[in-house]
Amino acid sequence: MKIQRGFWFLLMLAFVLVFVAACSDDDDQVGSNVGENGEIAGDLEIQYFVGGYGDSWWKEVIADFKAAYPDVNIIEHAGPNINEEMRSRWVSNDPPDVVYIDGAGSSETQMVEDGQLMDLTEWVAGIELEGGDKLSESFIVKPADYDGKVYSLPLVFDTWGTWYDKALFEEKGYNVPTNFDEFMASMSEIKAGEGIEPLVTSGQHPYYFLRGMLYPAFAAAGGEELLADVITGKEGAWSSAEVLEIMKRVEKIVDEGMFDSGLGALNHTQSQMNFLLHENAFVPVGFWLPNEMKNDIPDGFDFGFIPSPMNAADEKYAIVPDLRPLAIAQEAENPAAAKAFVEFVFTREYASSFSEHTGAIMNLNGVDLTQNENVPAYLMEANAMINDPDVVQIYEKPHPMSADLETPIGNALISLMLGNMTAEEFVQKAEKAAADYRAGLK
Amino acid sequence: MVQSKKQKYWFLAFCLVPTFIMFAIFTLYPLFSGLYYSFFDWSGSSSNKEFIGFENYIKLFNDAIIPDTIVHDYFLVATKVIGIMVLAMFFAVALTQLKIKEAPFYRIVFFFPNIMSVVVIGILWTFIYNPSLGLVNSGLEFLGLEEWAKPWIGDEKWALPSLVLPAVWAGIGLFMLMLMGGIANISESYYEAAKIDGASEWQQFWRITLPLVWPQIKVSILYIVITTLNGSFILVQVMTGGGPNNSTHVMGSYLYQQAFRQYNFGYGATIGVMILILSLITVLVLQFLMRREKVEY
Repeated sequence: MKIQRGFWFLLMLAFVLVFVAACSDDDDQVGSNVGENGEIAGDLEIQYFVGGYGDSWWKEVIADFKAAYPDVNIIEHAGPNINEEMRSRWVSNDPPDVVYIDGAGSSETQMVEDGQLMDLTEWVAGIELEGGDKLSESFIVKPADYDGKVYSLPLVFDTWGTWYDKALFEEKGYNVPTNFDEFMASMSEIKAGEGIEPLVTSGQHPYYFLRGMLYPAFAAAGGEELLADVITGKEGAWSSAEVLEIMKRVEKIVDEGMFDSGLGALNHTQSQMNFLLHENAFVPVGFWLPNEMKNDIPDGFDFGFIPSPMNAADEKYAIVPDLRPLAIAQEAENPAAAKAFVEFVFTREYASSFSEHTGAIMNLNGVDLTQNENVPAYLMEANAMINDPDVVQIYEKPHPMSADLETPIGNALISLMLGNMTAEEFVQKAEKAAADYRAGLK
Repeated sequence: MVQSKKQKYWFLAFCLVPTFIMFAIFTLYPLFSGLYYSFFDWSGSSSNKEFIGFENYIKLFNDAIIPDTIVHDYFLVATKVIGIMVLAMFFAVALTQLKIKEAPFYRIVFFFPNIMSVVVIGILWTFIYNPSLGLVNSGLEFLGLEEWAKPWIGDEKWALPSLVLPAVWAGIGLFMLMLMGGIANISESYYEAAKIDGASEWQQFWRITLPLVWPQIKVSILYIVITTLNGSFILVQVMTGGGPNNSTHVMGSYLYQQAFRQYNFGYGATIGVMILILSLITVLVLQFLMRREKVEY
């Protein structure tokens, strides 16, 4: 009897111990970060999101880095849900060293607000590329500016635009629009010719339309100033005459029945699938569309990309780049290796291979894609168009819009797109959302 | 062998302590930490948090979306309770009383959705409701009722009612089995006696079946209410994400959006406290309304 009791007691003790052990901190001892000769060594943790661009480019870069720095032991944290998976590490002040900020559950603005990223302002000023150019002068788009400080380096240059099927347009002789009036004319033609509602977007994620169609329209109408004002929710920006004028254009698209009537139910892949199946003719998405849908592209489909044609007839196409940055954690345990890695990544050679692997562009200028036959055709054309200042004007936004402002504006926007709200009601709602957002910041 | 007092306590401790430890870690601790975080301004993604007292609660009372989420939740509670209980009762009576040969087959068919994950059910019904390829709209078209076709979960008016169908469909099986268990326990002699006295099938149902399975009905209703208030957000999250324009947000999905999409974890925790309080009140009210003497014949 005694023995049995002792056994149960031990079992219970074991239970408790397992819990205590599971709940305690794992304070792994990190090896020395400096090698024998003072060179960079130790563990280097890298967190990167794997989405539409895949991970083959990352594998290549990391393998090369390992070869160049054999004393560094790289620990990769990667995957489509990595931002959620690593959240507890960030919350407990034990973040990875290097982080690529992209995908659901990540927000550069939020990380800067929370003081999680290292101030790179001085360090980045001293970095040179292989040809002797300064890195800080070789970005296509400059790093996001937070009160004069740099916390992240924009790695991926992506941009939203409007996609169409070139093969279909050439076969049926539809016009590729260059401004809003042509856009409406082209959509009317397609509506009559194909018997479809020509424009689709994800109603479940209204920010696709906001970032893909409205940002360029705001920029074309009011320049970077208006763009910055709507993104930061400045008083009067959303109710300004320019914004109302653009929202009237959206209302016109609704009134003439150009939107897919089912778009409210669609998530982003469903809307993209509809586009590929010729249920619709135009869809606003970024450069990642062909890569993301590569398993579902019908034969004969030929991707064509234009900056979203929401601009007035006397305005040029506008493009608002969307950047995915690389950053170093404020609490990085191996900052030396982290800096070495970030410096290692920003080369024109990797920029070229990035376009091959992902179908998008790395944020370095002076990269000649025309000589690289592995780069997809749409990207070369888009790249040429974007770099032609007579056709396209590039506008930079100060930083992404905070989710606290984007969510209520997206909600009002979907109501407008479904025809349940007028442009006037929309700007009122948006102005109210901006006021709430500003109040929340104090 | 007579157990000594000490032995008895050891045995009780063995039964209770591990459970209590688990309960404390997985229920009490999250409950109190949720309450604790509701007093902070915290993004949920860093270690910085600032104590702000009742500010989150003040925000809660001024948030125009909150009343909508509460109404949506209770709309789902009411429609689910009515839909599930009526259908589950109907099937349970049909499968026990009508002596259908294929009863075991139907039992499996009706129970099947219960072993499917809610996420799978949500995705499945998203396809069924798909505006262009979905079963519902193609069915309507086939019947010549094109004008009734709509984007269901993409329509501000119809999205919430559209969520009721999958929720009811997924819930029937379990409660049907519970009621069947209750009905099986009713002695056959009551029905025979009633028949001799000339009671119709309908009267038998109202006078015998219903009162005698009341305990099962009561438990079922409470269970549906609690699971809906706590769990309806899964279906919302998968099928509509709360949209279009907040027309399907329930308290849980709004909590998720605030805590994990808008990085207002503290405010999310405040919504969690509200859900807890409302669930408690609802259950207490229901207990009071459904109190009824246990019937025995």
